[in-house]
Amino acid sequence: MVKNNTEIWDQARGNIRSRKGGWRVGEGVFCHGYNMMDDFVGHVSYMQVVLLNATGRFPEKRLADWFEAIHICLSWPDSRIWCNQIGALGGSMRTTVVAATSAGIMAGDSRAYGPKTLLQGMNFIRQSIKEKRNGLTAEEIVTNECSKHNGKPKIMGFARPLVKGDERIPAMERTSQHLGFDIGEHLALAYEIENVMLSKFDEKMNINAYISAFLLDQGFSPNEVYQTFSVLLSSGITACYIDTFERPPESFLPLRCDDIVYQGPPHRPVPERD
Amino acid sequence: MSSKHRNIEKRKYQFTEKISTQIWHEHPCPENPYLPQSAYCYGYDLLELINKRSYTDVFYLIFRGELPTLEQSDLLEKLMVALINPGPRHPATRGAMIAGVGKTDPSLILPISLSIFSGTHVGAGCIEEAMIFMSENIDKNPGILAKNLLSNSKPPSEGDWHPAPGFGSRFNGIDMLTHEFAKRLSCMLGAGPALQWGEEFATSLKPHGIGWLVTGVAAATFCDLGFHPRVGPGLFQLLCAPGLLAHGIELANKPFTAMPFPSDKDYLIEDE
Repeated sequence: MVKNNTEIWDQARGNIRSRKGGWRVGEGVFCHGYNMMDDFVGHVSYMQVVLLNATGRFPEKRLADWFEAIHICLSWPDSRIWCNQIGALGGSMRTTVVAATSAGIMAGDSRAYGPKTLLQGMNFIRQSIKEKRNGLTAEEIVTNECSKHNGKPKIMGFARPLVKGDERIPAMERTSQHLGFDIGEHLALAYEIENVMLSKFDEKMNINAYISAFLLDQGFSPNEVYQTFSVLLSSGITACYIDTFERPPESFLPLRCDDIVYQGPPHRPVPERD
Repeated sequence: MSSKHRNIEKRKYQFTEKISTQIWHEHPCPENPYLPQSAYCYGYDLLELINKRSYTDVFYLIFRGELPTLEQSDLLEKLMVALINPGPRHPATRGAMIAGVGKTDPSLILPISLSIFSGTHVGAGCIEEAMIFMSENIDKNPGILAKNLLSNSKPPSEGDWHPAPGFGSRFNGIDMLTHEFAKRLSCMLGAGPALQWGEEFATSLKPHGIGWLVTGVAAATFCDLGFHPRVGPGLFQLLCAPGLLAHGIELANKPFTAMPFPSDKDYLIEDE
C-alpha cells in the first residue's frame, strides 16, 4: 500500500505560523511588524489598525478617516433594515448584545446588500475601466451590462433599492474633498456611467458605486475592501438591539396567530407509518 | 455632482401587509390571539404527528411538504446517523470546543460552531453547489465526465484537490469511511440515481487518489430525497449539529488548560 503524502499537514501539527503577528510574552504584542503598545497606542487611529489587519498595509491617516466616515454612512439605527431587524429581534428575545450584533452582521453577509455587494460593485467598475481603455464609451459599457439582464438597468452600484438617489454620496463627496482626495480615473468613470444611467433609465449612482470607484482609485482590491468592512454594519445593529432590549420581551412587531396567512394544504389526518 | 443625490424619491414598492407560509398554521386560543391552541404542519395536526410519526418523518415533512415513504424515511435516518458527528478533529468541532473551554455562553456554542461549518471547504457552503453539480450531470456517463474534469483540472501545489463539488481528496487521500457511508446508503431502497451515479463517479476518480467527500454523500442523498439545493447547506448543518454541540459542551466545564495552547516556541511569527 502506498502511503499518502501528508507532509504539509505533518509540518503544521502542534505549531502555529502567523504572517500577521502575535503576543511574545515579556517582549510585546506585534502586529505586522509593529509593536502595538509602543507604536500604535496613543499614536495612530483605531481605523488605521483595522485597515492594517485587513490589508497588511498601514494606511495614511486621511484614508483611515475616510473609512471612519463611510462606516457612519453605512450603519444607522433603523430597525426596518434587514440586518438591524435581526438585532432588534435579538433584544426582544433577550439574547446577549454580542450574539444579536454578530447575528445581524451575518445577516448582512448578503448578495443583496451589505459589504459583500462591494465585491460585485468593484468588479464591475474594474472591468469597465478595462473596457474604457480599450475604447468603449460609458454608454456602450452600460448597454453591454444591461443586455445581460434583458436590457434592464441592473448594475451593482447603480439604481438603489427602495429609493432613487443617495444622500450618502454628497456627504462622502464633501468628506473626500475635505480630506484632499481628488477624483480618480475609476470615480470619473462611475460619474460618466451615472450620467448614462440618468439619461437612459432615470437611475442614479448609489453609495456602492461611489465606494467601489473611490477605493479602486486608492489601490484597494475587492477582497481587501470586503475584509475591511467585515463588521461594517455593527453599530446600527447594536442600537436596534438596545432599543428592543429596553422594552418588554417579544414586543417588537408582535404577531397574533391570524397575522400569518396560511397558504398550505388543508387540514388532513396523519396516516399511520407503513 | 452631488445635487442630483439630494432629492431622494421613494420607489413604489408593494410590501406585503402580512407574512404568508405554506408550512405552519396556528389556531389562536379564544382567550388570547397570541397563543396557539393547535398547530398544523402542512395540514397535519402537530399533536397527531407526535403520536403517530417519528422525528425523521416530521423532519422530512417540514422541508418537503409531504410525509416520506418508509424507504425515504429510512434513508434519511441512516444519513442522520452517518453525519451525526464530524468528529473532534474537525475545525468546526474545535470551534465548539474552544468556545466551551473558553467559557462562552453555552447557548452560543452551536451557532459559533455552525458558522465555521458554513465554509466551502468540506462544509455546508459547498452542499448547494454539489447538489446542482449532480443534478446537472446525472444523465452523463460518470466515467467520461470524470476523465474530462480531470484533464481540465490539475491538483493545487499545496493542499487537497477538489475537481468537482462534493468529490476530492482529504489530507491527500481518499476518505474511506465516507466511501463506506456512500456504499451503505446507495444500497438502500430509498436511494435514487444521485447516490448511484455518485458511486460510479467516485469509482472513476479513485485511481487518481480522490473520491467521495462527505459533502458529496450528503448532497447526493439530499438530491435523492427530493430536497431543493438551497435547503441543502442548512440540512447538512442540522444533521452534523449534535456532534458539534456535544464536543463543545464536553469541554465547557473543564479548565482552560484542557485544550492545547501552543507555547511561544511553537508560535512562529513569519515575514509577510
